Order: sequence, then structure tokens, then C-alpha cells
Amino acid sequence: MAKVLITDDAAFMRMQLKDIVTKLGHEVVGEAENGRIAIEQAKELQPDLITMDITMPELNGVEATREIKKLLPGVKIIMCSAMGQQGMVVDAIQAGANDFVVKPFNLDRIKESFAKVLS
Amino acid sequence: MEETMKVIVFSLSGQRFGANIQQVISIEKMKEITKVPGTSSFIKGIFSFHGETVPVLDLKERLQMEQTAQTDSNRIIVVNIDNIQVGLIVDAATDVIDIEMEIIEDAKAMGGVIHKDYIKGVAKLANELLILLDLGRVLALEEKEELQEVLAN
Amino acid sequence: MDTDQYLEVFLDESREHLQAINDNLLRLENEPTEIDIVQEIFRSAHTLKGMSATMGYEDIASLTHQMENVLDKIRHHELEVSTKVIDITFSAIGALEEMVQSVSDGNDGKKDVTALVSQLQELENGKVATTEVSLEKGEELPSLSIQLDEYQSTVISQAISSGYHPYQITVQLNEDCVLKGPRAYMVFDNLEKIGEVIKTNPEVEEIEEGNFENTFTLLFITSESKETVKKTIERVSEIHHVELQDVSLEKKTEKKENETTQSSEKGKQAEQNKPKHSKTIRVNIERIDGLMNLFEEVIIDRSRLEDISHRYHDQELRETVENLARVTENMQGMMLAMRMVPIEQVFNRFPRMVRDLSKELHKKIALEIEGSETELDRTVIDEIGDPLVHLIRNSLDHGIELPEARKQSGKSEEGRISLKAYHSGNHVFIDIEDDGAGINREKVEAKAIENGLVSPENSKHLTDEEVYHLIFASGFSTADQISDISGRGVGLDVVRNKIESLGGSIEVKSVPGKGSKFSIQLPLTLSILSTLLVNVGNEKFAIPLSSIIETVALGDKDIKYVHGQKVLDFRGHIVPLVSLQEVYGVSGQSEASNSAVIIQKGDKQAGLLVDSFLGQREIVLKSLGNYLKNVFAISGATILGNGEVCLIVDPNALVK
Repeated sequence: MAKVLITDDAAFMRMQLKDIVTKLGHEVVGEAENGRIAIEQAKELQPDLITMDITMPELNGVEATREIKKLLPGVKIIMCSAMGQQGMVVDAIQAGANDFVVKPFNLDRIKESFAKVLS
Repeated sequence: MEETMKVIVFSLSGQRFGANIQQVISIEKMKEITKVPGTSSFIKGIFSFHGETVPVLDLKERLQMEQTAQTDSNRIIVVNIDNIQVGLIVDAATDVIDIEMEIIEDAKAMGGVIHKDYIKGVAKLANELLILLDLGRVLALEEKEELQEVLAN
Repeated sequence: MDTDQYLEVFLDESREHLQAINDNLLRLENEPTEIDIVQEIFRSAHTLKGMSATMGYEDIASLTHQMENVLDKIRHHELEVSTKVIDITFSAIGALEEMVQSVSDGNDGKKDVTALVSQLQELENGKVATTEVSLEKGEELPSLSIQLDEYQSTVISQAISSGYHPYQITVQLNEDCVLKGPRAYMVFDNLEKIGEVIKTNPEVEEIEEGNFENTFTLLFITSESKETVKKTIERVSEIHHVELQDVSLEKKTEKKENETTQSSEKGKQAEQNKPKHSKTIRVNIERIDGLMNLFEEVIIDRSRLEDISHRYHDQELRETVENLARVTENMQGMMLAMRMVPIEQVFNRFPRMVRDLSKELHKKIALEIEGSETELDRTVIDEIGDPLVHLIRNSLDHGIELPEARKQSGKSEEGRISLKAYHSGNHVFIDIEDDGAGINREKVEAKAIENGLVSPENSKHLTDEEVYHLIFASGFSTADQISDISGRGVGLDVVRNKIESLGGSIEVKSVPGKGSKFSIQLPLTLSILSTLLVNVGNEKFAIPLSSIIETVALGDKDIKYVHGQKVLDFRGHIVPLVSLQEVYGVSGQSEASNSAVIIQKGDKQAGLLVDSFLGQREIVLKSLGNYLKNVFAISGATILGNGEVCLIVDPNALVK
């Protein structure tokens, strides 16, 4: 069981992800609604895995990923991208993201991603 | 898991109202507003917000409530509804609270101050009834005339 | 918000693919044996299917799925391209367009497609009943072969001699993988930690853009074992299958021969995948818009600086600000150039539309398109489509006569509509011309009188051109007189309004029996305007320089009254004067407005009375937004250097 921090500016998306993550048997230790908050929460909660939305106010997911990977190189980050965000996804991977999933979320896909990233 | 909704609380003519915070972009202090000729009287004009020009409505006037004097606590709540940005002038923006979906009731029972079309629901809080506005309906211009007729009757 | 964004992308891409299918179907109709075209249509249909399925639009998915089956048969030469195939596919595309539109309008994108699906199934099963076999064919994994140049062969032989292993790796992604480009990027990223990618098929750029079916092949040099390499790749999500083959140089030459004997189909595909060495990069439009927004802020700050430098009379400051002004002016030019898009993407949809409508109307019509490379600001491009559709439909429906009628009047049976775009000065012109019956003056007059737009007396004094222009008047068309085709329930006044809201104008010329010509004039760009800033009462207004002929100071004697209307004798012309203070109901006492701005629209002029001139400003046009639509004689707003918001006068509305 991994400790998971969910980052997304849309409460709806956080809700959905929380559901899925809990179903997969992991523990959601925190939720952040933008990149800035995600960095703070990551430092405080020390999660094993962070799901990271890309487009967010204040600080976007790519920049947040870069910062978090500097602070906590061991944490796994899965980007939550939308179709058509190829460029941003590649930026995120360069910034250290470990995998990405595409919205709308598909349980099996997230399960695979979690399994690969946590293995 | 109990479902909650984050609500921004603001006051109009001494009464407290709420609206879903997901529609709110920002809360601004009063700024200079440029009048736009030939628009409804509740449209106060446009103001400069993050490099864009955004229309501003007087929410009290829109809801046909009695007017109160302008004070320092007046705020412009900038909302985004169906990709339209609009500023709403309120007497004060006081709070952001979590409301459990369970305690929100249908608006039909509420009589009085505001036409029920503008009300999304009523949250029964410990010490008050908070009217939750349906901002989409509040902004819809087409219904205006119709509504005025209704209220005149 | 994210779902919106997602939906938008879905809509954009769907429209793109539907357009591509449209174009390719038209091509295929002329060259029914070109399997390459079928391939492209198949690809588009396939992408559409995948996208719509993820989005949960099942009707779109099931229709595209059935289209795919038919196309698959065609590309495997099991089915011939007949008119029937083309027609049914066109109707399927029509249905898909409707569903996508429905989604775009915020609806569920549902539509009963069973009839179309069964039509397609009939097509599919018409000839040979080998569906399963052909499907399997479609899904089998062809490892794309890799051709090496001399340099790469040398690299490989050196690698082998220093103990490295070259592998040819074929990676197949999951069928439902959405962002294939980044996924492939991750594969490369992982591989590059343990070795070197020498060559790929298709090219790396293409792969990282996601331009491949589901499979790509690469040549990889590493000191690791096959097992490790495979594991490294499989650490990435959404990998369906990985295959590794040893590469030896002998094998490579063999491969070369193989390659040449392979089907021409594949050869061509490989050709398409060759790198395109053009010096262009693709930039997401959002980034350009972002840049533009930032630049607009720079412009606002520039005017702020200009204000400051006027106040301080400092030589150095003034020079710096002047230089900044020059530089930003150049920047502006470049930035605007970046936003320019060829009008092709609007014109694209018309051949298909004309084809379908002429069938429906039993008319014969040839569409000629000229100048589709003409560039326009993207904002204008986005908006101009509907008005053009409307005008072309109008020409098809009311302009061009039925073949018999044409024959009787001594014309060729086939009517002609020409669509032409070109630049001139700071404007773009679009002409829509037909060789149909022309506009019937009597009919227009009668209708205008009936609808109270003009009195029977007055109508007699109007020139032909003035009468023709009545068709753009609001209230001219009434719903029951509009046919389904040109109408869609709206009149030409909507077209005029739209074009005017874009800062353009429309004119019509017509010769009875010979045809009509609609000419649209549009500004090259919308977002940054040169204006004259004026004071009116307590407010400031900006008047676009493009409409201004002159500014004049007025003495009391200059103002005359004609029928109670203030006029000005301007170089021998009587020009009506319009008080902005009255038009806009501006408060604040106006010390007898003694300045006028003479503006022009077409050949008509008007003088706008203002209090004083504040000077010329480059301003950034901000729309009043969807909430404040159709504010009379205001085309937008802008933010001045001091943060003040100021309205922009729409001169077109003030010239009568």
C-alpha cells in the first residue's frame, strides 16, 4: 500500500481519482489543488506517489514536478494529462515524471501505471 | 464518503448568500468601472481584470433587491460561467465554507426576497439558512424582461 | 474545466479528421484506384473511432468502426471503390459531422446510426464474406523494416567489434493508447539510459509527434542482454508487445533487397515518413495566444511609459521609450504574421458542400476556388466560415438556375460559382461570384415594401445597387420564405452583422440574367489597432484611424442645420454631424463640442463631435465578451497606459 497525494485543480477530478486510488488499495494522504500546494504537501506528507494534473493555476504540474523531484528524488509522479497535451507530457517526463495517464480516467490504465511505477 | 461543496459566502443588503466556489475566479476590491452605453441598468460597465476587460453587474440590482450605500467592504466577485467572465458587485465577501450536499434542500419552499428561478438550493446550516444562488441563471439575460413582468404582477 | 479542454481537443481533432476524410473522399472519387488515399481515410476513421470511444460517444464509434471495416476491404483490394461506396461514406461523414456538432453544442452526440451502419455492412459483405480474415490482417503486426545508410552500417559494425549488441526492436503500443507520442518518448528515454538508438522507422520526429499506427521499429545498440532491454521497455505503461531481433550486417543487406521487393504501398509509406527538412516548427496555438497576451501587456506598459516620459522631459528616458516603441512595432508585425493562417482551412469544406447541395437541388454546379493560400488572422478565420457558408448556399439556392432554365436562356447547363480570396493593402477581400440569374430588383423591392423597410415612393428613387443592398437589412428575410438550404432560419442580415463585427464590410453587385457578386472586405488583423483617443464629457473613447479622414476644429459658423440635423460643410460636401455625447449618453458637461472627427464608410461620411483630441494611440482591442453583445456603435474596449478602460467607437454604425 502506497501513500498517495492527489493533485488536480478540479475537485471533481480529485474525487474521481481518490475513488480509484482507494479502490486499488492505496491510501490517499492528501489532496492539492495546484502545484504550489502540491510541493508543500509533498514535503509535509512524504507520499510514495503523486498524481499530478498538468494545467493548474498558480503553478502548473510540469513545474511542480520539477520542484518536487529536486526535493524528493525518490517520489514517483504520474502525470494526468488530457488528449492533445503531448508537448506538456514530454516536458513533464523530462522534468522527472515517471508515467502519465490520459483523462478520462480508466481504472485498468491507472492500475497498470501504479503497478509499473511502484515496482 | 460524504460529498461536500465549497461555497463562497457573501452578503447583499444584510442577507447572506452562497455560490459554488468552482465558478469563482477571483475576489477583487472595487475598482474604477467604465460605463457601457445602451446596456441594462444593472450592468455597471466594464473593468480591467488581469489585462482583460470584464463586464460588471450589480448583483443586488440584478436580483431586484433594495440598494444600500457603497462601503469599503464592497467587492467584485469575478466568476466564470460557461466561459463567460463576469464581475458581480456584492456588499461584502465574508467566507468560504464546506457544505455537505445532504443539507442542501430544494428552493421551492423559500418564499420572499428573491425569485426562486435564481436559487439553486438552500443549505440548512446550524444557525441560518444560506441561499445558494444559481449564477448561470442570474447571468442569463433573456429572462430578464419576463421576470420583470412576473414581479410586477 | 479540464473536461472542457479535453472535449475541445476532441472536437478539434475530430473536425480535422472529418475534413481530411472529406477531402480524400473527393480525391478518391476522381482516382478510385489510389489505395494510398484509402489508407489515409482509414487512418482518420481509425483515429476518430479511438477518440470517440474514449469519450464515450458510442454512436460515433460504432459508425466509424463500420466505416473502417469497409475501408479495410478496399485497401486489401477486396472491394472496389464505386459511386455507391463514396455516397454512403459521404452520408456517414455527414452523420458524423452532425454528431460532432451536437457534442460541440453541448449535447450528447447521439444519433440513430443503425441505417447507415447496416448500409455499410451491406457494402462490406457485398462481395466476399471474409471479414474475420481481413480484420486479422489489419491487426497483424508488421515489423517495419529499417534501411541503413553507410554511416549507420559503420556504426553498427564498430559496435559489434567492440562487443555491443545491435537489436532491431519492434514496439507495439496498446490499441487504446491515446498519447502515442509521449509514450514513445518514454520508451526512447528509458532506452537511452542503457544504450543508443541509431535509427527508427518512422523517423523519431514522427514517432514523437504520435504519427504512427501503433507500432514503431528502432535499431538499438547496447551492451545489455535482450532480456534487460525488453524489461526496460516494458517498464513503460501501455506497451502491448515488444519484439527484439539480432541484427547482423549480412542480414541487413538481405533486408535491403527485401525492402525493394516489398509492396509499393509500403514503399510509399516509408517515403512519406522521410524527414521533412523544412525550416519551420509547429507551435501550439495556445502558446502563440499566450505570447500575444503578454505582448499586449507590453503594449499597455509602453503607453504607460510614453505617458511618463511626456511628464518628465528627460532626454534619455524619451529616447529609450522611442526605441522601445520602434522595437515593439517590429515585434508586433512579426507576432501578427505568426497568427496568420491560410484561408484554405475555411475554403476546404466548400467543394463537398457544393457537391452535396447541387445533388439535392438537381442543379449542375462547378465551384472554382482561387487564392486559398491567402492568409488571415486566426480570429477572423474562426469567425468567417459561417457567413461564407451562408453566402455560398445562397448562390447555390437562389443564384444558379436549374439546368433547363439555364439552357433556355442560352447558358451552359453547368452553373459556376467562384470563390476568390486576395490581399490588398491592409485588407483581405473575399469574392463570391455566380453566373446565375442575378438579383431580381422587382422582387426585392416588393419584399422590402411588404416588410416595411422602404416606402413604395422611396423605393422608386433607389438605384439598383441600393435596392440590392436591402437584402442585408434586418427584417428583410422572413423565416417562411427561406428555403432549408440557404436559410437555416436566418437572413443575410446576420451575415452582414457578423462581417461588420469583424470590422469588415460586404457589398453586392448584380446583373440580371448574368449573375451576382458578393464582395467581403476584412481587416488583416483585429487585435491591435491604431486609434485616435478623444475626450467626450467625462469619458474617453478611441476611434480607429482606419476610418478617419481628417480631424477639424469647428467654429460656430461651420455648423449648419438641415432639416433640424447638424451638418458641416466639409470641402463642399454636406456631412452630417453626430454628437458622441448624445449617442453614448455620456454625463459631464461638455464645453460646446468644438472638434469633429470626419469618418468614412464606403462613399459616405460623417463628423463625430468630440470635446478634444488626446492624440494617437496603438491600442489592444479587447472584445466586450459574450455577455455584452451588440452594444450599439461600440466595437470593443481597451486598457490604457494608466489602467483606465476605454471604449472603442465603431464608426461603421455611425455613418448613415
